Amino acid sequence: MKRKHLGAIVVLALAVVLASVAAASSAATKRQAKTDTIVLYASGDVNVQSLWQQYIIPGFEKKNKNIKVKFIFSEHGVNDTTTLARIGAAVKQRKWPGIDLVDAGLVTTLATDGLTQPVTKATAPNIKNVDQTLLTPVKGAAIPYRGSSVVLAYDSKNVPTPPKSLGALLAWIKAHPGKFTYNSPNSGGSGYSFAETVVDSTIPANILKQMQTGYVPNLESYWKQGFDTLHSLNQYVYQGVYPNGNAAVLDLLGKGQIWVAPVWSDQSLTALKTGQLPASVHLTQIASPSFTGGAAYLGVPKSARHKVDVYKFVDYVLSPAAQTQIINVMAGFPAIPLKLMPKAIQNKFADVSANSLRPTYAQKQQSDFKAQWQQIVP
Amino acid sequence: MVLPPVAVIAVFIGFPVVAAIAYTLGRAGGPNSVVASLGQRQFIVQHGVTLDAYRDVLSNDTIHRDLWATIWVTIVSTLVVVVVSWAIALYLRLADTRLARIVSALSVVPLFIPVVIASYAILTFYASDGFMRTIAYHLGWNGFPTLGFTLTCVVLAEIWVNIPFGVLMMSSGLNGVPNNLIEAARDSGASMPRVVRSILLPMNVIPTVIVGTFTAIYVLGSFTVPYLTGPTAPNLLGPTMSNFFSAFNQPQQAEVLAIVVFVFALGIGAVYVWANVRTGKRSSVAQ
Repeated sequence: MKRKHLGAIVVLALAVVLASVAAASSAATKRQAKTDTIVLYASGDVNVQSLWQQYIIPGFEKKNKNIKVKFIFSEHGVNDTTTLARIGAAVKQRKWPGIDLVDAGLVTTLATDGLTQPVTKATAPNIKNVDQTLLTPVKGAAIPYRGSSVVLAYDSKNVPTPPKSLGALLAWIKAHPGKFTYNSPNSGGSGYSFAETVVDSTIPANILKQMQTGYVPNLESYWKQGFDTLHSLNQYVYQGVYPNGNAAVLDLLGKGQIWVAPVWSDQSLTALKTGQLPASVHLTQIASPSFTGGAAYLGVPKSARHKVDVYKFVDYVLSPAAQTQIINVMAGFPAIPLKLMPKAIQNKFADVSANSLRPTYAQKQQSDFKAQWQQIVP
Repeated sequence: MVLPPVAVIAVFIGFPVVAAIAYTLGRAGGPNSVVASLGQRQFIVQHGVTLDAYRDVLSNDTIHRDLWATIWVTIVSTLVVVVVSWAIALYLRLADTRLARIVSALSVVPLFIPVVIASYAILTFYASDGFMRTIAYHLGWNGFPTLGFTLTCVVLAEIWVNIPFGVLMMSSGLNGVPNNLIEAARDSGASMPRVVRSILLPMNVIPTVIVGTFTAIYVLGSFTVPYLTGPTAPNLLGPTMSNFFSAFNQPQQAEVLAIVVFVFALGIGAVYVWANVRTGKRSSVAQ
């Protein structure tokens, strides 16, 4: 008798659960007819996370009540490779990848492999303000939304007058053994930039241009001289070691083990703010040639949903209001011309304009560069 | 009853392994088409198979050095872990004192500390301004070597990470040896070293083999420890594989390296299986 009761209760409970699920889902679809949800995937450090989560997304949602932005964050890009494969597979099958907008290093790969919407199809008026030269390395299929540059950090306690040019920097490194290092190019952009800058200084401008705009493996023989210079620095570099990751170099700099190092402008400014780097560490840019800088790109996968809403969001990101937030939070460069920005920001960038960021190699050329560095230099 | 687990293994492990092996042999169709459309420096054939990817990887001098570094670090770490965990476990088995209990508790502590934190701590500990050098300096020794970012540091960290498993395994093995066997031997006049050699050692072969093989396989494929504490080159194959996969955008070469590591691990695993089978046979004969 008891058994029977139990059975009846189970059946009843199941029915109730199923009914409520059905009701909830039908309610959800009804609501969705009014509100669209776009999915944003971003990767990077916590500063990227707070930029989206605390500033841009709330600002956008306040202005556009009928669009919700779902935010997926991958710290330090640990999920980038999987996400790349996922978007790649979905776009090939013309299915929704579960992501409508991407802010990560993988965007350049997506763009050059033709997996993202070309900018010409974007319905966002503000895109026309973006520096057009920044579109070349991504074949016009990704939207630059902020810039950051590699700069030279030095401890002013021990280095009162920092080197002003690449030649002076190389001479300084040799004169102060063990007081300089850069992270291995395959583990972070700041060390990569130093290595590429040394190599670039020995390459004719027209050859360099080709490597920045496309993948030309047969020009890689031009790298030989620069790599030899880098190899000759082994004995002067801190313990002969190129630590893994941008942060590892900041760590050595903060502890005073090294005095001079190439670092990301935004990352080191954040480190100075939080006290990870002592106030005696100053930042400067070198000349002839300067370190490379780059833009961070947004990409819209070809099979993304709600593209109109996505571009509304992109348009907001490129508006002067949002760009000001980006500069304040990330210590980055604006992606739109300075004349469109508020006066205070214009003064801040009086010396360095975002458009003077020295471009870096195309993505696949960079991969080859890192592989050869690992073979030849350490 | 067995079918569902077998199916899960086949789908989630067997199938990807087969696809990866096919990719290393130059087949880029089907499940490999996405990775192949993004990778660089690939060796692809439409019909049959090619060993060009293997040739490309195995003729690379940098990889030779990494391979030797991996083998060297694996052998040294494994030997030290086996010897040290044997010694600690033996001490615990024979001396039931307060000190012994403290030692046993301390030796398991690394189990509860994340590998990333441990690696960073060890790196700072042996850095040029680290604890060890500071102590040595205050004792009047200026020449204590800076071990941070060296393969020695990698070995030290691997030992640190693997000791708890070794001690736990060995202790449970030695505790399984009945006390009356040891007492009987002692009563017949056997010395302590003799007891260890003739009773404890032979009765603790399987745990020793387990500790040896598992530690070796762990060190062989480790990533975090060498990535954080090791030198730029040569380093262990873990960071090298990761470099090839993401930084160099050469997934085919990364998978070839994975298969090389897999073959090594297979060899080590064979020792484990052989030891188990041998003991199994012996115990069945004894019955």
